[in-house]
Amino acid sequence: MNSHPRLLLRKPLALIGIGLVLAHLIAALTAPLWIPYDPTALVGAALEPPNEEFLFGTDELGRDFLSRVFMGGRVAILVAFSAGVIAAVGGALIGLSAAYHGGAIDDLVCRLVELKLAIPSILFVSLFVTGFGQSLGVLIAVIAIIKMMGAIRTVRAAGLQLMNLGYVRAAQLRGESASSVIVRELLPNVIDLLLVEFALRSSSALLLVSALSFLGLGLSPPTPDWGLMIHAGLAAIHSEPWLILIPAVCISTLVIGVNFATEGIADAWGLDAARGGAHG
Amino acid sequence: MLSVIARRLSLSLATLLALAVFIFAATEIMPGDALDVILSSDEIASIPPERLAQMKRDLGLDRPALERLGSFLLNAVQGDFGRTLISKTPVADIIAYPMRNSLALALLVIAIAFPLAILVGIIGACWHRTPTDHVLATATIVGYSIPEFVIGTLLVLGFAVALPWFSATITVDTRAPVLELLKVSALPVATIVIGSVAYLSRILRVGMIEALSADNIERLRMTGVPPWRVVFRHALPSAVIPCLTAMALYAAALVSGLVVVELVFSIPGLGQELVRGVVRREVHVVQAIALACAVIVVTLNLAADLAVLALDPRARSQ
Repeated sequence: MNSHPRLLLRKPLALIGIGLVLAHLIAALTAPLWIPYDPTALVGAALEPPNEEFLFGTDELGRDFLSRVFMGGRVAILVAFSAGVIAAVGGALIGLSAAYHGGAIDDLVCRLVELKLAIPSILFVSLFVTGFGQSLGVLIAVIAIIKMMGAIRTVRAAGLQLMNLGYVRAAQLRGESASSVIVRELLPNVIDLLLVEFALRSSSALLLVSALSFLGLGLSPPTPDWGLMIHAGLAAIHSEPWLILIPAVCISTLVIGVNFATEGIADAWGLDAARGGAHG
Repeated sequence: MLSVIARRLSLSLATLLALAVFIFAATEIMPGDALDVILSSDEIASIPPERLAQMKRDLGLDRPALERLGSFLLNAVQGDFGRTLISKTPVADIIAYPMRNSLALALLVIAIAFPLAILVGIIGACWHRTPTDHVLATATIVGYSIPEFVIGTLLVLGFAVALPWFSATITVDTRAPVLELLKVSALPVATIVIGSVAYLSRILRVGMIEALSADNIERLRMTGVPPWRVVFRHALPSAVIPCLTAMALYAAALVSGLVVVELVFSIPGLGQELVRGVVRREVHVVQAIALACAVIVVTLNLAADLAVLALDPRARSQ
């Protein structure tokens, strides 16, 4: 693993990606400390163009747009990253268990994964939102389940290749329990893969959650959120295009950053990020 | 061969059945029922219990879940998805035309995106590890990193607002002839094509690189077969066939993309109905649309696998 950081430095794409992600994370974490106004307070006239008092102007209700933009990634990032962590960890445990046990358990897991892959993500969320209603917890759980399926697939494939390794057989012959072999022998081998999976799933979760907010099925007003802002901005697209352009640049640079970084890291570690795909 | 096809067919049917059960379960066995949609909580509290029980009976909510699942499946097979909770219109009537519109759009997108993706994939593979490949690879990452609703809105800003070439919203009637809809759908189709090409060409590029490095291709090159013939006649088929299964999964992504784009451009399609259904908690509408999409995706997956069987002798011998 020692050569990884230096390999990464030679990949301009990865550096741009890491830079973008860091900038976004710092902005999202520190925003509450320095934004000029409360992002949900009505502080000016509606739809003011950018001026000295409001650098990005005001939105359709007269809220400071700069404050809203800088607060607008926080909830989406929280949802996407929590879903990404759950998806990667759950995917690892289920994928490795399926690979370890094989047989009926493996078949069942594979069928379930295929079943989920046949349902478009937005439909899957729609079904659950219709049943459970709209809340942050439901959103994280549903997106985590969706993204976990792809992770299970990748980790299971990697796990199958590990099953023939000498020390895995040795652990089995020593009489170690299934859970101990999975956690102590198999898991350490897929840590690299898991990191890439986490990044891939987080970036596609980010796309999904912002699309859902845009559709009115994700986060709800008055939460400052880029997807919601772009939806609201559509009404004023002819006169106040910056209300769309600024949040559009924010969400795009964040996802591009995560994907550039993932591609670079996967490349440097000799993993194939293309296989996962952004929509997986 | 026949037994392989039969096994594949029964797998599709089983998948469909499982999906139908899942769709029913996700929407019906959850907390809250259709009554909560029709009445507010105050109303439920104020209505006498006998009247409430009567309403439940009318909606069929007093029957056990398994029995309701059975009649849901039986009716769905016959194209009957029940009536909406508020207006009591048959759900099948509500989704028929929007479904036709969405399907027409989807087919147009596929017809444009597939050849384009193949072309981009081939260029990336033939110029593997050259600046051309790097630029294309970077562009595809950017292409699928930008959310579809952002691409759509940016296209509107560019080609409907700044340069008034197209209209920003589509004002065609739901029941208008399909051609009329497609004629004004340049921007929405372009939106989905951009994401689709980025997604598909990535898969194809990897397949093409593998195909081009095969021994038989090397031999063809050395015997002096023209390069374009090597690529299109010999390498392309062997690259596309293994990609077909992965590409059928794209059908699911396409449906999600359509939903979003329909909302951006206010296209009268299934996506609009779906979102309206979820917001109003019209359980039967959401179920019907989910089931329709499941049928489409499962059919496409089946078609892809059958195509692989027909085209690839290796798959038949398994």
